[in-house]
Amino acid sequence: MGKFNFIWLSCKKATYLISKKEEAKLSRLESVQLRMHLGICGFCNRFQKQTRFFTNKALHLHNHIEPKLSDEKKEEIKLSLKD
Amino acid sequence: MEEQLLSFNPNKWVELYADALYAYTLPRVNDVQAAEDIVQNTFLSAWKARATYRGQASEKNWLYAICKNKIIDHFRKQSTGFKLIPTGEEELYFDESEHWRTEAAPRDWGVSMNQPVESKEFYSTLHKCKQKLKDIQQTVFVMKYMEDVESDEICKLLNITMSNYWVLIHRAKLHLRKCLEKNWIGLG
Repeated sequence: MGKFNFIWLSCKKATYLISKKEEAKLSRLESVQLRMHLGICGFCNRFQKQTRFFTNKALHLHNHIEPKLSDEKKEEIKLSLKD
Repeated sequence: MEEQLLSFNPNKWVELYADALYAYTLPRVNDVQAAEDIVQNTFLSAWKARATYRGQASEKNWLYAICKNKIIDHFRKQSTGFKLIPTGEEELYFDESEHWRTEAAPRDWGVSMNQPVESKEFYSTLHKCKQKLKDIQQTVFVMKYMEDVESDEICKLLNITMSNYWVLIHRAKLHLRKCLEKNWIGLG
């Protein structure tokens, strides 16, 4: 890719920018670089879609698992709540 | 409106809320002992502070608010003295020329990303994969995506720099994605 190296990102850097983009504004150069990379790279497109997918679900995780506090612990807590 | 009746009956509190608070806490701190302690301390703090409770929030929301603070305190303690070291973790996924390694490159999951997923299997796999993350990676992931704390707030609480934070959250995503692909989708 020769003299265009500055504009072409590696997949390693592109995925890092995908993660960073969720948290912060990318610089103008970074945005252009990422857009160009995503225009040609199927793997990094998948990375973006799949990570978005599961991070959006994480908020609801506790509604879908049902651990129970042991009865012993519950009794212990009840006993500790005395004046 | 039973919640509004401020019974301050500790036995009833425990029966009503202990399991829910525990289910809320465990996936966040990922440690049975720590989660039990947090739930117990939540009830203790609430019990001691019951005189100051004015009923602005429901009893349940009040307990959750106390519990959330205990969880954040736990994270803060856990991150003391943390230093980000170059671990080479990214090299599991990328080769020397920084391309995806063949065995690590994202595969087609064959599921629609826009459909709601109600499957228990997905969430229990996500839970297991999350548990495999290293402590601090897991903490930033939980704070950001489960507690919905702003990233600069997370950096302040954990006393880490923003660029360390980006690296940690990125590593967490790389690991989680791969783990879900393997154990939920069943590829590789």
